[in-house]
Amino acid sequence: MNKEVKKSKILRRRAFILGISKSLITGIVLSKLYYLQILQKSKYGKLSESNKTKIKILYPERGTILDLYNKPIASNQIDYQLNILKEKKKYISQTVQKLRSIIQFSKFDLDQVKLNLRDENLSDFITIKKNLTMDELELFELMSNQFPYLLITKEKVRHYNHDENFSHVLGYVGYKKANKNKKLANLKIGISGVEKNLDAQLVGTDGWVKLEANSRGIIKKEIVRKNPIPGKNIKTNLILDIQSRVMKELININGAAVIIDCQTGGINCLASSPSFNNNEFSNGVSNRKWNLLLNHEYNPLLNRSIAGLYSPGSTYKLITALFAIEKMKININKEINCVGSLKFGNRKFHCWKKEGHGNVNLLGAIQKSCDCYFYELAKSINIDELSSFSKQFSFGNKSGIDIPNELSGIMPNKSWKRLNRNERWQRGETLNTVIGQGYVLSTPLQIALMTARIATGRKILPSILKVKNREFKKMDLSDKGLNFIRSSMYSVVNDFDGTAFKSRLSSNYKMAGKTGTSQVRKISLEERESGVLKNEEIDYKLRDHSVFTGFAPYDNPKFAITIIAEHMGSGSKVAAPIAKRVLEFSLKNFLSYV
Amino acid sequence: MSEIFIQLKKLNWLLVFLISFLSFVGLVMIYSVTYGGDDRIFTSHLSKICLGLSIMIGVSLVDLNFIKKHAYLFYLIGIILLIWATFFGIVGKGSRRWLNIGGLVFQPSELIKILVIITLAKFFDEKKIQNAKDYIFLILPIFLILLPFFLILIQPDLGTAMIVLLLGLIIFFISGISLKFFGILSLFFLVSTPYIWGSLKEYQQKRILTLFNPENDPLGSGYHIIQSQIAVGSGGIFGKGWTKGSQSHLDFLPEKHTDFIFSMLGEEFGFLGTISVIGLIVLITYLTYSIASKSFSDNFNKMIGYGIISNYFFVSMINMSMVIGILPVVGLPLPLVSYGGSSMISYFIGFGIILSIDRSKRN
Repeated sequence: MNKEVKKSKILRRRAFILGISKSLITGIVLSKLYYLQILQKSKYGKLSESNKTKIKILYPERGTILDLYNKPIASNQIDYQLNILKEKKKYISQTVQKLRSIIQFSKFDLDQVKLNLRDENLSDFITIKKNLTMDELELFELMSNQFPYLLITKEKVRHYNHDENFSHVLGYVGYKKANKNKKLANLKIGISGVEKNLDAQLVGTDGWVKLEANSRGIIKKEIVRKNPIPGKNIKTNLILDIQSRVMKELININGAAVIIDCQTGGINCLASSPSFNNNEFSNGVSNRKWNLLLNHEYNPLLNRSIAGLYSPGSTYKLITALFAIEKMKININKEINCVGSLKFGNRKFHCWKKEGHGNVNLLGAIQKSCDCYFYELAKSINIDELSSFSKQFSFGNKSGIDIPNELSGIMPNKSWKRLNRNERWQRGETLNTVIGQGYVLSTPLQIALMTARIATGRKILPSILKVKNREFKKMDLSDKGLNFIRSSMYSVVNDFDGTAFKSRLSSNYKMAGKTGTSQVRKISLEERESGVLKNEEIDYKLRDHSVFTGFAPYDNPKFAITIIAEHMGSGSKVAAPIAKRVLEFSLKNFLSYV
Repeated sequence: MSEIFIQLKKLNWLLVFLISFLSFVGLVMIYSVTYGGDDRIFTSHLSKICLGLSIMIGVSLVDLNFIKKHAYLFYLIGIILLIWATFFGIVGKGSRRWLNIGGLVFQPSELIKILVIITLAKFFDEKKIQNAKDYIFLILPIFLILLPFFLILIQPDLGTAMIVLLLGLIIFFISGISLKFFGILSLFFLVSTPYIWGSLKEYQQKRILTLFNPENDPLGSGYHIIQSQIAVGSGGIFGKGWTKGSQSHLDFLPEKHTDFIFSMLGEEFGFLGTISVIGLIVLITYLTYSIASKSFSDNFNKMIGYGIISNYFFVSMINMSMVIGILPVVGLPLPLVSYGGSSMISYFIGFGIILSIDRSKRN
C-alpha cells in the first residue's frame, strides 16, 4: 500500500510536469498567433490581397488620325489577344505546346513571348499571342476550361486604313525599347511620323482593372476598374484621295510628291515611293522583314519628301531670277545669246540644249530653262548673297514641318565650303549653283515650299496638323519681281515653247510651274564631244531625276505641288505630267478656299 | 432504465457542453467551407457530430472495470483491424488507412491511439514494478507501442504514427518510469535519426525541410505553409468575417475543411476567434486534468485520463502549430473541429471514457 501511495505521488508529479509542458506549448502557439495576427497583420493582409487580386492594365485606345475631310487614315481595330497570368508563367511552354493544336504560333510570336516574359510591369498578365483569328478564338473557348489561367482580352490596336499610302507621313507605332514607364511597357507609342510628333495627344491615359482570382487563376469577379481615357482624335491637312491618287502615280517610280495648300500652309499630300506597310510595323515587324526593308535597293524606309536630298535643278532658277531682279536690279529685257555653252575661266559650262537657245531674255530663259543665261548672271553674283537670299525660301533650312527626321539640305556659301570641303569657293561653282546643280541639295518639301511662297508672296509654313486661322507674314519681296516670276512660270506651262507645255491643264484652271532635271552624274568632256548619252542608254542609277514644281490656279493659288521622280530623265517628261494629272484631280474635287 | 437516468444525471455536463460547443464551432466553419457550394459535407458533418455525441454519452455509461478487464482483447481487435486497413484497406489521400465494414468507413489508426493508452495503463497499473533498473519488463509495452506505430507509418500516415509514439512516451512518463530511461531513449533516438531520416518518403523529408524556410520554394512544398500563414495573419484581430475569407474561399488554402480548418478560422474570425478556440481547448484540457487527478485512488483511471487528454491536447496543438508554421505539415486534423468521422468519433469515445471516470468518481 505504501508503494501504491508512492507511485500515486510520482504519477501526480509527472502529471504536473506534463501540465506545465502543455502550458508552455499553448504559450508558444499563442505567441505565434499574436505574431501573425497582430504584429504582422499588415504584411499578411497585403499578401492575401495580392494573392487574390490580379491587376490588368487597360491600354487606352489611340486617337484616330483624320484627313482634312474627316476620313480616318489611321484608326484602330479589334485584336483578340491571349494572356497568361504572370504567376503561372512556368507553365508557359507546356501551355503553348498544348495550344498549338488549335492556335498557330509563328516563330515571331514565340520570340515576342520571350521578350514579354522579361518585361517587368505592374500587370499580372503577359500576352502570349496576338491577332487571334475567329476560328482560333472559337476553338479556344471550347478548350478554355483546361487553361483557367489564360485570359482572352479584346484590345484595340492601330490600323492604317490605306495600306502603304500614308506610311511615311503617319509613321507607325511600336514599343519603345527603354520605356521609362515600366508600368506601361506594353503601351505602343509613336515611333515616327505624325504618330511620333503628336504622340502625347494620340496616346491617351491608361486605366486598370483589379480582378479577383482564385488559386487556379480563374477570375471570379471584377473588384474595381479605372477606365482608360482614349487618345484625342487628330485632324490633319492631308487629303486621303489626293494622297492615294499620288501614290498610284508613283507606282514603279522612286520619288516623292508634296502638295501644300497655299492659303493655310497645310500639307495636303506628302508622299514617298517606294513605301512600306506600316500595319506590319504596328503589329511588330520581324527581324527578317526589317532587314529586308533596311537593305532594300531603293530604301523604302526613307521618307524622300522630307529627307530625300536632290539637286533642285532648274527649279532653282526661279530663285536665281528673283535674286537678280530683287538684289541685282537687272534689266529683265536684256537679252543674252545662248550658243549652247559658255566659257568661264578655263572651263566650259554647257546649256542643256547643245545647239543653244539663241537670244533669250529672262522670261525666255525661265520658260525654256536656258542655262547660259543664268551662267551669265552668275558671273556677277556673290554666292554668299544668293545663299542667304535662298534661305527665305527654306533652302538650306529645315522647313519646320511637324513630323520628325526632316533634313535641311545644303545651300552652299563660302564658309560652308571652307568648313565642309576645306577649300575656297571657286567662282565657277557659283555657275553650277545658280542652275540648281553642284553643291545645292534640297528636299521636295523645300521646293514645294519655295513654290508656295513665290505663289503667295507670303512666308508659308507647312503643317500636317490642321491648325485654324493661320496667318503668314508677307515676304520682303517686290510685287513686280514676284509677278514676273509667276508669269514666267505661267509661260513655262502655258506657252507653246515652255518646257512643260505638254502638261498644261486641260481644265479651266491654269497652272504655273517650272521643270527641272536633277543631274546625278558629271558628264565628261569625251561624252560631250561624242554626244551626250540619252537617259535610256545609261545605267538606271546614273540617270537624271525628273523634277517639276508648280502651283494652280494661277490667278488664285491653292495648291503648290512638287514632284520628283528619280532617274526618270527631264522634268518635262515624267514629273510635269504627274503634276498635271494630280492637280486636275485635286482642282476638280478639292478646290475650296477658306 | 431509471438507473441510466441516475447515471446520466451524474455526468459532468459542463464538459459535455464545452465539447459540444467546440463541435459547433467546427460545424460553423464547415458551413463556411460549403458556403455557396455543395452542402453535403455540412450535413454529413452535422450527422457525425450527433452520432459522436451519442457515442460519447453511451461510452460514458460503460463501467471502467469492464474496459480495464478486456483491455488486451480490445487492443488485439484494434491491431487486427489496423493490419487489415494497412494491407487491404482503402487508399485515400495517398495512404492506405481506411476500412469499409458494412458501409461504415473508418480509420482503425484513430481507434488504436485510445487502445494503446488503455492497454499501457492496464499494463503499468498491474505490473507494480518501479525498480528503475528493471528494464526488461519494458520490452512488452515498447512492443505494444511500436507495433501500431510501424503499421501506421507504412500506411503511410506519419502524423498519426508520431502521435501513437508520443502517447506511448507520455504514458511511460506518467507511469513513473525512471528518467534515465528517457535519457537512454533520447540517446538512441539521436543515433537512429539518420536512419529514420533515410527511411522517410521524399515528400515527408521535404515537408520537414520547408518548415525551416518556407519562402524557399513558395509554389512547391512550402506553398501550403505560406498560404496558411497568410490566411491566419491576414485575419488580424477581428477576422474578415464569416464566409468572407479570401484565402479560404479562393482556394489558396489547401484542405480547408480538414487539416487547415484552423487557418480558415483564423482568417474569418481573427485573433479573437483563434484565442477563443484555444481557450476552449485549454478549458477542456484543464477540466479533464482535474477529473483525472481527483480520481487519486485509481492509477489506471488516472493514466487513461492523462493519456486521453494528452491525445486530444497534443493533436490539437500540433495541428495548430503545423498550420501556423511552427511544425511541419504532417497531416493531422484539429480534433472535434475538422471534418472527418473516424477522428472525431475516436475523440468522442475518448471523452466518453473521461466522463465515465468522472462518473465513477462520483459514485
